[in-house]
Amino acid sequence: MWKDVLKQVVKDKFALAALILLGVIYFMLLFADFIAPYTKDFSDRSMAYVPPSKIFVIDENGHLSRPYTYNYKREFDPVNLRIKYKFDRSQKHYIKFFAKGESYKFLGLIPMKRHLVTTDRDGRLFLLGTDINGRDVFSRLLFGGRISMTIGFLALFVLFPIGLLYGGIAGYFGGKTDMLMMRFAEAIMCIPSFYLLIILASILPSGMTSIQRFMLIVIILALIGWAGFARVVRGMVLSVKNQEYVQAARSIGASRLGIIIKHILPQTTSYVIVAMTLSVPGYILSESGLSFLGLGIQQPDASWGNMLKEAQEYTNILYRPWLLTPGFLIFVAVLSFNLIGDTIRDVLDPKSKVR
Amino acid sequence: MQILLYILKRILQTIPLLIIVSIVSFFIIRLSPVDPLAELRLNPSVSKETLQRETERLGLDKPIIVQYGKWAKSFIKGDLGVTSNGELVSAKLKERIPNTLLLTAIVIFLTWVVGVPLGVAAALNWKTPFDRMMTVLTSIGMAIPSFFFAVLLLIFAVKTGWFPVGGLTCTNFSELSLGGKILDLTHHLFLPVVVLFTISLAGLQRQMRANLLDVLDSDYVKFARAKGLSEFKVVYKHALRNAINPMITLLGFEFAGLLSGAALTEYVFQYPGLGRLILEAVLKSDINLVMASLMMGAIMLVLGNLIADILLIITDPRIRDK
Amino acid sequence: MKRIIFGFIILFLIIWGLKSCLHADVPDIDIAAEAITDTDTQFTPPPPQKNVTIDGVDYLQSQAPVGQFGGTLVASTIGEGPKTFNPFNSRDNISSLMADVMYDGLLTTNPYTGEVIPKLAKSFEVNGTEYLIKLRRGLKWSDGKPITADDVVFSWQDIVFAGVGNTSVRDSIVIDGKLPTVEKIDDYTVKFTTPKPFAPFLRMLSNPIAPKHIFEPAVKKGNAYFDTFLSTNADPKTFVTSGAFRIQEYIPAQRVTFVRNPNYYVINTNDEKLPYLDRLVYLIVGDLNNEVLKFEAKELDIIGLQGANVARFKTLEPHSDFTVYNLGPNTGTMYLTMNLNNRKNENGKFYVEPKKQVWFRNKNFRTAVDYAIDRENMVFNIANGLGEPLFTAESLNSIFLNKNLKPYPKDLNKARELLQKEGFYWDKRGRLFDKYNNRVEFDLYTNAGNTEREAIGVMVKQDLEDLGMKVNFKPVEFNSLVNKLANTLDWDMVIMGLTGSPLEPNSGKNVWHSRGTLHMFNQRLEKDKNDDLFVWEKRLDEIYDKGALAIDFDERKKYYDEYQQIAYEEKPFIYIYSPIVITAIRNKYKNVFPTTLGGATHNIEEIYIDKEGGK
Repeated sequence: MWKDVLKQVVKDKFALAALILLGVIYFMLLFADFIAPYTKDFSDRSMAYVPPSKIFVIDENGHLSRPYTYNYKREFDPVNLRIKYKFDRSQKHYIKFFAKGESYKFLGLIPMKRHLVTTDRDGRLFLLGTDINGRDVFSRLLFGGRISMTIGFLALFVLFPIGLLYGGIAGYFGGKTDMLMMRFAEAIMCIPSFYLLIILASILPSGMTSIQRFMLIVIILALIGWAGFARVVRGMVLSVKNQEYVQAARSIGASRLGIIIKHILPQTTSYVIVAMTLSVPGYILSESGLSFLGLGIQQPDASWGNMLKEAQEYTNILYRPWLLTPGFLIFVAVLSFNLIGDTIRDVLDPKSKVR
Repeated sequence: MQILLYILKRILQTIPLLIIVSIVSFFIIRLSPVDPLAELRLNPSVSKETLQRETERLGLDKPIIVQYGKWAKSFIKGDLGVTSNGELVSAKLKERIPNTLLLTAIVIFLTWVVGVPLGVAAALNWKTPFDRMMTVLTSIGMAIPSFFFAVLLLIFAVKTGWFPVGGLTCTNFSELSLGGKILDLTHHLFLPVVVLFTISLAGLQRQMRANLLDVLDSDYVKFARAKGLSEFKVVYKHALRNAINPMITLLGFEFAGLLSGAALTEYVFQYPGLGRLILEAVLKSDINLVMASLMMGAIMLVLGNLIADILLIITDPRIRDK
Repeated sequence: MKRIIFGFIILFLIIWGLKSCLHADVPDIDIAAEAITDTDTQFTPPPPQKNVTIDGVDYLQSQAPVGQFGGTLVASTIGEGPKTFNPFNSRDNISSLMADVMYDGLLTTNPYTGEVIPKLAKSFEVNGTEYLIKLRRGLKWSDGKPITADDVVFSWQDIVFAGVGNTSVRDSIVIDGKLPTVEKIDDYTVKFTTPKPFAPFLRMLSNPIAPKHIFEPAVKKGNAYFDTFLSTNADPKTFVTSGAFRIQEYIPAQRVTFVRNPNYYVINTNDEKLPYLDRLVYLIVGDLNNEVLKFEAKELDIIGLQGANVARFKTLEPHSDFTVYNLGPNTGTMYLTMNLNNRKNENGKFYVEPKKQVWFRNKNFRTAVDYAIDRENMVFNIANGLGEPLFTAESLNSIFLNKNLKPYPKDLNKARELLQKEGFYWDKRGRLFDKYNNRVEFDLYTNAGNTEREAIGVMVKQDLEDLGMKVNFKPVEFNSLVNKLANTLDWDMVIMGLTGSPLEPNSGKNVWHSRGTLHMFNQRLEKDKNDDLFVWEKRLDEIYDKGALAIDFDERKKYYDEYQQIAYEEKPFIYIYSPIVITAIRNKYKNVFPTTLGGATHNIEEIYIDKEGGK
């Protein structure tokens, strides 16, 4: 089964590109600590909103040089009431690879100080400029991506067991149980999902640690999706439950739950896989929408959605376009997931009714 | 007669559904630790007596079951209570719901007019570069975060000056002629419609394509072809009709998706719709308003599904007979 | 073949990517700062308006240059729009703004000097506890009925003193449990009497006056009816106003349109009735950003600006059709405060952990925190340089500002010194402990969704971590935060803002009086006793009681100087900065004289459109 999928993905150029892209993104997120020049919270407040650092390879005399950069310095222009950014040309800061910088724990375990690329102690290398607090946008993109790109999967892992079991039980038992359970699921589906999402997000108790908040948002996202999923699973269970092998299992006295889990649910595997890949992007978008409204992941933690919040401001879009990068990353990631999902569906479940 | 009976049964079925919805949403909202009078409390010039009066008015000092009972009773009577600012909830909803319906109706209409033909074209050209391109294009449409797209379009509107920046009508709307009014509305609706259209087109196009492929693969189409009917007749007279029927069920779901999608779009475009209202109400934890708009959203959804069902019964005799 | 092309494309992309990252170091030539001459935003305000009597009608005559009639001004409000158009029910800024457009009060504030001047009244006299008000003769409501002493007595007696609608005005003029009285002397004279001399009362007389013939039936139907009277659903035709404008149309979530009141009593020097403008429109916009977009798209004529937008508009100004006015620091205050509460809740649990109480209730600890705050960079980064560091309890444009309180820069050494003095120490990793070996760690709250405060929170967290404290920064929903501040009292440190009046410090009584509902740094609930006051808290209570009873400005100033001194030394609130208020307005509008106190539209009746346009 997986071979077919892989073959198809490699054959399809769009899907292949998408797969490679996602691979690169997840690789970078995994090694974010090492790749990012700074930590998530590192900030140099004298450098708020500075543009991306310029890297020079030809020095002022026109000679080739090791790559270096200048720091920015800010001046307040009292006539135009604005802040100007200029290079501080008094000192060159050479770009260094694998040099020591901010300390961190590699993969959360090994304490390390080396970063892929950085510059000397006083120098600042902001590959994608900084935000309002003088934090490196590039580094925060990586750390924010860890949240944005995993939250969808986590939500699915919470949601799918619930949906499978709920749908399985309802479908298998049928009758009154089925009716009651399905009425409840339908009622949940009747609440416009985004409305429910913001309401749930807004009643989160305040003052949680960032991990608690993250987990709760995962759960909320899962709460939104399980009902629809359970309904489809129920339908599939209904169609297989009277097949011979199920009846055979029943006749040898297997327990009901055992039958549901061992014999009936495995029949839904290909649907589950297709539905999973196709719904990850939805959750990524939901999280970003929620954070964009200020109801999701909150400062000082980063997620692509809450980084985009700054891009709401008109002047930021005009003068600080680097703040828009999270938006493009969301777009690229979601698009890649969609393309791969399409391909998987074509292989596993060509007549699927999903989307 | 049978149809009417079926419809009646279908309508009755929605009632327990709505009761569950209301209980679920009421308890979710009341679980929240936030204080609906917070804004009044922080106003330096509001006295304790005033606060006390407000508490009594909202029934906040009573147990939650009583509050729900109170709410449900008045809801049935059509009294939706007052917002935490003292305005009538029903009046607020009356202002907003038509706007949201207008927006979603236009979007649904447009997606059908564009999405169905595109889906048919893709299915007829199955596995050709055209079909592949359509899949990629619709993927792109689905991948753009709606709020981000909306923000970019707003900037576009400012830079070019071609479109108004949010809102629904211009300042001298009431003085315009009927034609002028329609033109003005179109002008204002254009950008939000573009955003929602881009997002929802993909789903419809794909569904249509899948359905038609399904039907084209079926025995009776094969039979018709074998009989020597022209391809045109096979596709447009027989296959298409059968492929569109299941799409009607989708109408209800599409409506649900649009209500949700519209919330963020309305927020960015400052569109005076239900989505923005509920967002503001949620942020202020305005119980009555959140409850009422949530219920309205649910009712609209249920009604949407109901209409879809009824349409289906009328167009597809098979279901009636079941 | 295909592969080669593909390879080339990729190679090209890589090279192109590298090229855009790597640059030649060519020093940029300092383009002689584009000579933007500061457009002349200086103006001389017109002479004060005069009382003029024509045919027995006491008009108020504007002395501003005579303009042309007609046209519309489009302004905006941020938020959800007005909640009511009933001036006695308004509980939020926008509703009050709408009421101010439509209803005039007896007195008003001179927008240039801040002194109290007559408006609907022709003149006034204060005599200890007696306020004698003479009304203008011959004035009419917008429906043609005369404005008389009956309307005044009704508005005060039957609405304000009776506690109908919003009771905030009533609440703030209760003096020793007694209310002032009002009586009609004759058709055009009324007399107010306060139980004791009470200085803040004079400014209260700017409260709107209602047309008795419209409001009386509503008042008689009781409180519940009055709450819905003249709500946003009311028919615009039923409005009878005394102000320059009358509502014409309200479209929810979109705009409020006002049309000129033909019976308005201000005239120009040609004796023509003002206002010049036919219509005044307030667009209801959801957020600052949308407001800016609308101004840029020319849908708005006037806008208040902040931060980076100022820079943009300032650069655009010379080539555009608007002028940017700098109105100075705003009237609110933004501050950081700690919970000094040492009481227990009903379950016998301390609101604040006892170890934290020791820190927060220690003056040197608070001062150390104060010295660690980097106000300068906050102004730079968050307000785009458009703000002033703030150190006083009164806002920078308050007429009661104590100018002897000097600002000071961030000083970590001084902060460390103060902490050391109190027995705090640092371990090898620079973490701060108190003398009982407790790690100094606490929560810092602010309301989520407010970008400015969130950014300040992040900076405060870093500043305090420089001192070795551990700060858990938690932006929470506004409602939850208020609930914490007002009810559950379970918070450590918070960043908040308060609006204040630059003219009347007594409006801060709620904050500074130990029983006040906004005494948040040491909030006492109703059940709490009042026997554990700090010495300085007790003194603040005295100051607030006495300051209100003193009539003479200099005498009051002495009291309010002292309260600011106490706040400056004891640091119950650590003030952060005041943003500067900037307004842009299109050049076609003339007679625009923006002031800090009155904003840009304080003289809305005098503003007109120059039909020839432009400068």
